[in-house]
Amino acid sequence: MADKVRLGLIQLCGCSGCHISLLDLHEQLLDVLPALDIVYAPIVADVKEIPEVDVFCIEGGARNEHDEHLMHEIREKSKVVIAWGTCAVYGGIPGLANLYKTEEINTTPYYTKTTDNPGVIPENGIPKLLDTVKPVTDVIKADYILPGCPPKPALNAAAIVALLNGKDPELPKKIVCDECPREKENVFPKEFKRSFEGTPDNETCLFEQGYTCVGMGTRSGCGAMCPSANMPCRGCYGKTDAVLDQSASTANTYANAGAPALEIPDKVGLLNRFSLPAALISKKVQK
Amino acid sequence: MGKVTIEPLTRLEGHGKVTITLDDSGKPTDVKLNITALRGFEQFVVGRPAEEVPRIVPRICGICQTAHHLASVKAVDAAWGAQIPIAAEKLRELMHLGNMIHSHALHFYYLAAPDFVLGPDADPAVRNIIGVIGAAPEVAKKAIAMRRFGQTIVEAVGGRPIHPVTGIPGGQAKVFTEEKRDEILTEMDAMIEFGQEGLAIMKSLNEKYLDTIKTLGVIDTWYLGLVKDGKHNFYGDTLRFMSPDGKETMDFKPSEYTDYLGEHTVDHSYVKYPYNKKVGYPDGLYRVGPLAMINVCDSMATPLAEEARKEFVETFGKPANQSLAYNQARLIELLSACERTKQLLEDPEITSTDIKAEVQPKAGNGVGVVYAPRGTLFHNYETDDNGIVVKANMIVATTHNVPTMEKAIQQAASVVFK
Repeated sequence: MADKVRLGLIQLCGCSGCHISLLDLHEQLLDVLPALDIVYAPIVADVKEIPEVDVFCIEGGARNEHDEHLMHEIREKSKVVIAWGTCAVYGGIPGLANLYKTEEINTTPYYTKTTDNPGVIPENGIPKLLDTVKPVTDVIKADYILPGCPPKPALNAAAIVALLNGKDPELPKKIVCDECPREKENVFPKEFKRSFEGTPDNETCLFEQGYTCVGMGTRSGCGAMCPSANMPCRGCYGKTDAVLDQSASTANTYANAGAPALEIPDKVGLLNRFSLPAALISKKVQK
Repeated sequence: MGKVTIEPLTRLEGHGKVTITLDDSGKPTDVKLNITALRGFEQFVVGRPAEEVPRIVPRICGICQTAHHLASVKAVDAAWGAQIPIAAEKLRELMHLGNMIHSHALHFYYLAAPDFVLGPDADPAVRNIIGVIGAAPEVAKKAIAMRRFGQTIVEAVGGRPIHPVTGIPGGQAKVFTEEKRDEILTEMDAMIEFGQEGLAIMKSLNEKYLDTIKTLGVIDTWYLGLVKDGKHNFYGDTLRFMSPDGKETMDFKPSEYTDYLGEHTVDHSYVKYPYNKKVGYPDGLYRVGPLAMINVCDSMATPLAEEARKEFVETFGKPANQSLAYNQARLIELLSACERTKQLLEDPEITSTDIKAEVQPKAGNGVGVVYAPRGTLFHNYETDDNGIVVKANMIVATTHNVPTMEKAIQQAASVVFK
């Protein structure tokens, strides 16, 4: 794919963090932008109709019928579709909504204590919610995935450069632990702590200290940013290629700690924080 | 009768459309702003351990994620009765300012400036940041530098430039190193200069488009902002309402917000319409964001920004009611954020290691408020004995402005379609 790439960008059920991460190339933007012809990007440009494009990056999954409709339209008009960021690939944080009935998602905001006319549910001129949050990859065929919440600027740039050179973008294959500078002794914790408890040692593995880090089940690429900031990984890059399911592979490690692992609060929300809609367990949760 | 639909609304985060109904003579009879997205955060944080919520809610907004992170952790601190060390408070404020600098630079240079720099009549296809890079590369380079500077601060203090993680109940998880502080300080004075230059650009653009600014989208509303000791403050502790004529003000604390704020559900939008409860709906509709912040404060907390505020008042009045004056107000705030950042970086306590107090989860009800870059932001959680969230209420920045944006669009439609 030589010359200028006609690029489309859109945010559906996401937060625009992936778009912002692209801008976080900062000065490098001035090198990347000349190679791109951004023909559609509601967040930065005033174009109303989706044109034919070479590469379309979709940020976010589908929360409502309109999102789903746009995904189909984008697929028809694009040569290459990239599921851009963890919401697009696995459902992301908004996918936690799949733990609840759609009716609850649709009505709870209209019963809060500040609502003066509780029970009025908006329905005019707005798209209907789907029954669940669906990743892009559940709705249409995505040619590539680019996970991360958000994907780091360098990953965005590498994907663009690969496509410009007619190559397939490549993703990191390892886990967050491989990038984490903390020392490991290969022991399992005797009890688990919540993140506000105590003060973690700065040098050693957070999981081994009993903090609920999920780096062992999570694709690398972030540079272990959270553990480096003294906070356990929450799995935002999703699973690696080697496993079927992020939470199952993480739970497998936790099981080695025995009974204390059972005491961890909200295991489903911890182990599936960013990938519930794509998880094996989600089919069961919805029953 | 005809109908005009503007969809998608562009150069914003989130999803909306405008529907304008016209009568036979082409005059608008009904103008509606439909906010078309609902994700359900108020429901799906329920059941989560409260300390995890500051790591979840940043995904409400990828631009002002830091504000959500901080309002959220403030709310958990309040629910559990945690007193955080002063150094942690300062680190959180610094993180917040980094986000403010990135977001205000983004909002002005990337989203608003294309209309002014390239002109409102320029082809929509070039009326964007790339057009600005072509037409005014020096301006674009400064915009990029300011965003980078802001993001660098958030990453240094918050652990990540987007969706930071270091705010935990009881304080902060990560010490700010002297090396990092010194590195950031080397660029500080240049950023204050860029802040002044941005303001100068805006003032010259204002002169060019003053007629438009003084006629399009001019509406009388209440204003809501955040202050500390009456002064403008992004991380302040007191909320202030100001009446449309500026004669009446009401100060209240975050914990009292349900006495002052109501939300009214409308049929055509997923967003509820917040209003000043003491005044009632719809008379109590108000605006938030830079215009409101500049309107409600007695003064800016930093000297250069205070000078700029005085000039602003001379041009637009107090309170200013011109929607397009938001841009100049935003640039005054950008300058102020840079000045305040310098004060904090030069504060020896900013690299303190005393950044976290021990806390115990408990049943409680906590409200956290900060000024997000687009307006005052509320997070309110109730927790059970184990510190698990049982109820949540959030009023996010842009939400406050939706009803009055609709009003401004109605006013603009009546001018455009006359």
